[in-house]
Amino acid sequence: PIIPRGGGALSRASFPARCGVAEMVPPVQVSPLIKFTRYSALLVGMLYGKTRYDYLKPVAEEERRIESEEKKKREELERIAKELAEASEDSILK
Amino acid sequence: MAQAAQRLIQRVATQAPQLASAAVTYSRPRLATFWHYAKVELVPPTPAEIPKAIDSMKAMVKSFQSGHLAQLTVKEALRNGLVATEVLMWFYIGEIIGRGSLIGYNV
Repeated sequence: PIIPRGGGALSRASFPARCGVAEMVPPVQVSPLIKFTRYSALLVGMLYGKTRYDYLKPVAEEERRIESEEKKKREELERIAKELAEASEDSILK
Repeated sequence: MAQAAQRLIQRVATQAPQLASAAVTYSRPRLATFWHYAKVELVPPTPAEIPKAIDSMKAMVKSFQSGHLAQLTVKEALRNGLVATEVLMWFYIGEIIGRGSLIGYNV
């Protein structure tokens, strides 16, 4: 069936009339197999995304915790090294 | 400087509703077209269609076993490949929804 397009707003000059077809192709009847596989793929994808996110979240937190600890240790060592260097340098501007 | 800011705010206040109404009038027929097609093509399968889907899957498996592959034209094979790719992309869209972010996991 050809549905007449309600395109009154499109005849305004300010909008480009991109949809130039005067008659619309009737919608395709999708086979049930394709519909079934599509929506089951969507569901499986949602489950996969959720489970992977739940797996990755604690792993990332652990990594961040370890990183912050190592950073503290490194800064402590650097501070000690800096103080030693300042104490041992020969300069008259002390 | 303050006057220019005032004029700008006045212009925004008067033209924002115009812009909004223009956007609505622009999008309404296009949304109607989209809905007209989506109502038939993108609707999920009803429970009555699931046995039909299983039957077509069994028929597909049987036809592959009986050597129908030799009679497949390249055009048909390309078309089936495109459909399979589209079904695969729905998995990735589901993954985007499941992990709650558009790009990558926000851990």
